[in-house]
Amino acid sequence: MGVTVLQQFPMVENRTGPQTIEFLTKRVVALGAVQTGQFLVDCETYMSVPNLGPQRTVHVVHNSEAPASVFAVLESGQRSVPLVADGLFDLLMQKMATIYSKKQPKIEAKGPRFEIADFCVKLGSVTMGQNFKGVLVEVEYRPCLVASSCWELVREFLQGFLGSVVPATPPPYLQNRMNELYQPIDTVNQYLEQFAQYRKATGVR
Amino acid sequence: MAYSVSISVEAPIENQIQEITYDGQELYQSPLSMSENLARLAQKIDFNKVIPEEVEKENSDSLEKSDDESSSKDSAAFQSSLWPWDSVRNKLRNALTEVCVLSDVLAIAKEKRYMVLDPVPQEGVETKPMVQVYARKKALAGAATVLLTGAERLRTSQTEISRNRTTPDFHIELLRLRQNWRLKKVSNSIIGDLSYRTAGSKYAQTGMFEVTKAEEENPTTGSPPPSPGPGGAPKPSSALRVMVPSELQGVAYIEVLCQKDQEDLCSASINVLGSGPTATNPDIHWQQKLEAAQNVLFCKELFNQLAKEAVQLQAPIPHMVVGNQIMATVLPGIQLIISLCHSTGTDKKPPSQNPPQKSEHDHVLEHSLHQLLREVHHKNTHHPFPHPSSGPIGPSKKRCLAGPMAADRYELMEMMKSQTLLEQIIQQAQHFFMRLRTEYVLDTIAKEVKDPLIVSHWNALNSPTQSCVKINIMTHGYDSVCRTSLIVHVGEKSLKCVCRDGRVMHMSYEPQELRDLIFCQIYQHQITAVQALAKCMGWQFLANSSHLGLGAVEPLGNASSCILASPIGDRLIAVRCEPHMGVQVAIAQSPRKDFFPGQLVKERKWENLGGSFKEVRWDKMEGKNFLNKMELLMASLTSS
Repeated sequence: MGVTVLQQFPMVENRTGPQTIEFLTKRVVALGAVQTGQFLVDCETYMSVPNLGPQRTVHVVHNSEAPASVFAVLESGQRSVPLVADGLFDLLMQKMATIYSKKQPKIEAKGPRFEIADFCVKLGSVTMGQNFKGVLVEVEYRPCLVASSCWELVREFLQGFLGSVVPATPPPYLQNRMNELYQPIDTVNQYLEQFAQYRKATGVR
Repeated sequence: MAYSVSISVEAPIENQIQEITYDGQELYQSPLSMSENLARLAQKIDFNKVIPEEVEKENSDSLEKSDDESSSKDSAAFQSSLWPWDSVRNKLRNALTEVCVLSDVLAIAKEKRYMVLDPVPQEGVETKPMVQVYARKKALAGAATVLLTGAERLRTSQTEISRNRTTPDFHIELLRLRQNWRLKKVSNSIIGDLSYRTAGSKYAQTGMFEVTKAEEENPTTGSPPPSPGPGGAPKPSSALRVMVPSELQGVAYIEVLCQKDQEDLCSASINVLGSGPTATNPDIHWQQKLEAAQNVLFCKELFNQLAKEAVQLQAPIPHMVVGNQIMATVLPGIQLIISLCHSTGTDKKPPSQNPPQKSEHDHVLEHSLHQLLREVHHKNTHHPFPHPSSGPIGPSKKRCLAGPMAADRYELMEMMKSQTLLEQIIQQAQHFFMRLRTEYVLDTIAKEVKDPLIVSHWNALNSPTQSCVKINIMTHGYDSVCRTSLIVHVGEKSLKCVCRDGRVMHMSYEPQELRDLIFCQIYQHQITAVQALAKCMGWQFLANSSHLGLGAVEPLGNASSCILASPIGDRLIAVRCEPHMGVQVAIAQSPRKDFFPGQLVKERKWENLGGSFKEVRWDKMEGKNFLNKMELLMASLTSS
């Protein structure tokens, strides 16, 4: 487990999602990466029923990188409460169906996973419900746990195969936590941030 | 209705007691037959209700005819449908007639006009005194016999108790047995269980045994010479007898042998019970018998488990399971043989005398084998806390925390790995040999090399698969001047050496590698010690090379050297140390004595440059050891 940076790859007019993934796969493999299976990050969103006061939202996220865990982020107003639990949490959510109901379609990112030296690269195509929404690129630099120490390195690596779309600043979520120890929940929060963007956007981004 | 409970009430099957005799015997009534029962029930019928009707009948003559008709109808009905009740009806009718006659008689007698009732004079009962005496005598005799038989019975039970006082009572013994073993009553027999099932064992074989009461003590057990078994003084046989299944009888133990190229290197014969009684004769106490049987069961389980693992494990050199032997290769050329010895028959003497011959062995491997299986048992029953009511039970604490700690795939895979018993015992055996070899290498070097002293300290605290030795290299008399220390971690198949300068070296199981390393360290120590000594003596330290590229190529390591200058700089000493050739020392002096002006170097001043080095005949030098010789050499060169 190391610092993970999540990066959105903008879609081009005349290229479909699978083509984009294939295009990026070729570039990553050209760098010497080896494919090590698939990955999947999915997010279910539950809303509290209206008669319980102010609206609260719970995002339940599964990450194939931590197969034994279930991540949950509770958002009420400006506050967000993260939780990491084991697989039984899913069953608990089913029990609470009267309090939290599913309103929004499931959103997920899945695709191939690569390893290249100390880096782990994941190319995920984002789908909401059945609709393709875009492509997310996740890069993990495993030897390091502090984002500020390795952001430059990761950015350079990202630029190596994504080109100029990589911004000069880290993702907004990471910016406030550049000097803290990186936790698995931070990856999940970055995904939630990106998923929220996809929800707002209409069509492919 | 759904909650109604049906209660059935029925008469006890027992017969009614007719009589209880004086000695407590009960005589039962024979059960009533069907017709008798019916008659009994008919007797309970209340006839009072019929009588007023009859009176009415008598009073009203007019109704007689109709009554007769109805009775004839009734009788016809009786005959047609309820014929079985006919006898009852006849009896009732007869009774009614008699009662009517009686009431008539009474009514007439009441008038005192036609009939008078006179008392009949009572005839006195003849009482014959002799008959009475005989009757009383007979009754007394009956009572006396009852009392006598009762007294006799009490007396016999009393004597039995007093006779059995030497051997403990069956029930007391059973109580003692119950305190240590699991027993249960199945119909008329008492069955016990000596398996480790309750302690967490999952071995399929049951450990059932049966407890019976010993038969009448045969008087011969006391008279023959007491059995010469090592169990001590033969106790009087107990009132209990324990029947153990035949496959658990006898004595079993697991023997661990280490062979090196078919020759015994070390052998550990494991008798779990220590030197328990090996006999299968029925004389031994039930406690020892049960313990022996339990031990047999344990050994069988252990061997079964090891054999299963040996077949399943994928080893580079496959493990072999032949009969009651498991053979595994520990290190090249060294085999570990685990065998199950189970002796049942009466020829119990030979196995019991073998262990004393192998008194050299240590019990470590044996002990750890047992410990490992016990650990498995313990893990089966003791799950780490907390036990969530909804969560699965059984996974390790680490696995329970894996979810909330968001462990990644690699960590989860690591958690899944577990070692089998055989792997663990092989590792322990490997470590045992590594330790043995390291000890041997260190001891032989310490014996061979006298000049720097080699002292090794073994850490007292170690684990079954890891130990640690600290090696100090120092020169006698100069131990405060210089001391080289290194630490060797002895693992399962490799050695790790941490040198003083922080270098870490990994070595394989070949002892030669450690030997070479220690020799290199010895000669490096000599050079550093000379430098430290030079500092003390006020000499200057000009140059140093621990890996000298000059001279013949060394078979191991490189030669190291240093050059020292005297305090005023007029003398030079060069030391060259190499693991193979030993120490060479050469000296040079600054105004060279053999300076002759030649063609190129003419002037006299060049003699101060110093001359060529001349080797010192080191074996002729005085001094106890290398540093002492160096000190003397420096001292002599300084003074002159």
